[in-house]
Amino acid sequence: MKTSGFRIFFMTGAWMVLAFLLLPILVVIPVSLTDTSYIGLPKEGLSLQHYAAYFQDPRWMAATWTSIWIGVVVAVCATALGTAFAIGCWFLSDRASTVARWILITPILVPPVVQSLGFYRFWVTLGLIDTNTGVILAHTLLALPYVSISVFAALANLDRRIPQAARSLGASVWQTVRAVVLPAAMPGMVTGGIFAFIVSFDEIVGVLFITVRNVSTLPKKIWEGIQEDIDPTIASVATMLVMLTLVVTAITIWRGRANA
Amino acid sequence: MPDSILTIADATKRYGPVNALDRVNLEVEEGEFLTLLGPSGSGKTTLLSAIAGFAPLSEGRIDLRGRDITGEPPEHRDFGMVFQGYALFPTMTVRDNIAFPLRVRKRPTAEIKKRVEYCLGLVQMEEFADRMPTQMSGGQQQRIALARALSFEPQVLLLDEPLSALDKKLRADLQWELKSLHDKLGVTFIYVTHDQDEALSMSDRVVILKDGRIQQEGVPDTLYNHPRNSFVADFLGKSNFLDLPVSAREDDALTCSIGGTKFPVMAPGATATGDVLKVALRPERIRLGQPGQEMLDGTVRQVSYLGERCLVMVDHEDVGTLIVSQPTWKAGVTPRAGLPVSFGWDADACVVLEPGG
Repeated sequence: MKTSGFRIFFMTGAWMVLAFLLLPILVVIPVSLTDTSYIGLPKEGLSLQHYAAYFQDPRWMAATWTSIWIGVVVAVCATALGTAFAIGCWFLSDRASTVARWILITPILVPPVVQSLGFYRFWVTLGLIDTNTGVILAHTLLALPYVSISVFAALANLDRRIPQAARSLGASVWQTVRAVVLPAAMPGMVTGGIFAFIVSFDEIVGVLFITVRNVSTLPKKIWEGIQEDIDPTIASVATMLVMLTLVVTAITIWRGRANA
Repeated sequence: MPDSILTIADATKRYGPVNALDRVNLEVEEGEFLTLLGPSGSGKTTLLSAIAGFAPLSEGRIDLRGRDITGEPPEHRDFGMVFQGYALFPTMTVRDNIAFPLRVRKRPTAEIKKRVEYCLGLVQMEEFADRMPTQMSGGQQQRIALARALSFEPQVLLLDEPLSALDKKLRADLQWELKSLHDKLGVTFIYVTHDQDEALSMSDRVVILKDGRIQQEGVPDTLYNHPRNSFVADFLGKSNFLDLPVSAREDDALTCSIGGTKFPVMAPGATATGDVLKVALRPERIRLGQPGQEMLDGTVRQVSYLGERCLVMVDHEDVGTLIVSQPTWKAGVTPRAGLPVSFGWDADACVVLEPGG
């Protein structure tokens, strides 16, 4: 096959864009293995000392567990509420429900800073500043649209005659929801729940606004680490997060192939 | 007179300014196979939804054996329903689908098992019990939907165009099956369709709807041979429509004329001499003959061969174009386009329609 100059030009461009996207992420890997005590590339050899430091430091461990359990609680709450909302709208499917759907996704549209300022004002009044409950509540609100959108997408495939069939066969509304609507919504609920966890696990702007010292999540700890001391532990945390993401993505793709 | 199971009185359903149902009155008899027939937008599906409880009526009431069920939710009505798109539960096996109505009624497990087997047998689908709905063809899925709707011995079975998604051959097979199932179980069937052949072949009684109103109801034979208005005459089978001036009358026997040719028409009821009658004439009731042999002379415009019969379009200078349906096996005239031909009919072939219909 003859390679034209045109093709070379575009291939080069494509690879450069890819490199631009990936390199800043990948650069944390050599930094995390540095033998120096500051953020920089390894000088004399590779070292795992900063990984050890992460696992030995109780503050890092506490921040990680906080992020994980808050993320799980947020995923559960957002999935329950978002699914209930989506199913309700699906049953009504009138103008009011369309308006409600738009209102629910506004948290995605509003800039995080503006939203966090709102949280701050309200949480002060409610006495939720610097509490786990406050963070869970804020993250649940932020994660709701992701859940309801993915449940809406799952329910779009559900034939309206199926719940009608269930009703005509003697099932009450509640039995109908349990027997046929929830199973149809399930794929959307799983996707939405994972999204909700990620939204919470990843969220920093809101956390910076509504927490002080009591509550520390992983993103907040990373942020503070950069601010206070340029500790390479941050790079090792970042590397582990990147690896975790790659593994999870690989499993998802592999499972998708196996199912197809 | 047999007892009515359902009584629908002045049923009206408004969607904005449109009346999807307009003061419909209907008695459904215990055990009958009743078909609601009409074109799309005629209100037949709305009427079925109202009976099922999915479309609350704007006005009117529905009684089930004398009990008012107008405001009852669908699950309390105890009517089985079969849908056009089958509407099987995709996450359940065939067995669980059929057991569903029994489980929500909290019947004992042993009884459920027996009943499911019996219903699978009814539709001859025993070997499919453990399949998922997506692993079956349309015809098989519809059989399962039927078994599911019958499993709890419903008071009435409602069928919403159940066969229209299937191909022609399968549709014909399932029509026979539905009919024999109805005869075997004695359950009241209310069947909605836009397909006149389905309606005529299966029903004990047909209700023809148009624009939310009942046009005519009766046994298939009566509807076909004595349509009340031109809509019914045209919707059920083909009809030729003629305007015939009445030249003489003697009791029920009238004499009408077309271009000087006089012929008898049977028309009960009062009609004065000089009136113009609107009549329907079925294509298969018109006889073709050699020129001069029959009442009127015309010219063959076009012939369309359909296998068992052929349709012949005949032009006549006074009546315009008529469609004649002739069995192809019948010896005699072989019509060809452009040839002269004569045609005529018996006195009882013309059906006098209501004026204005």
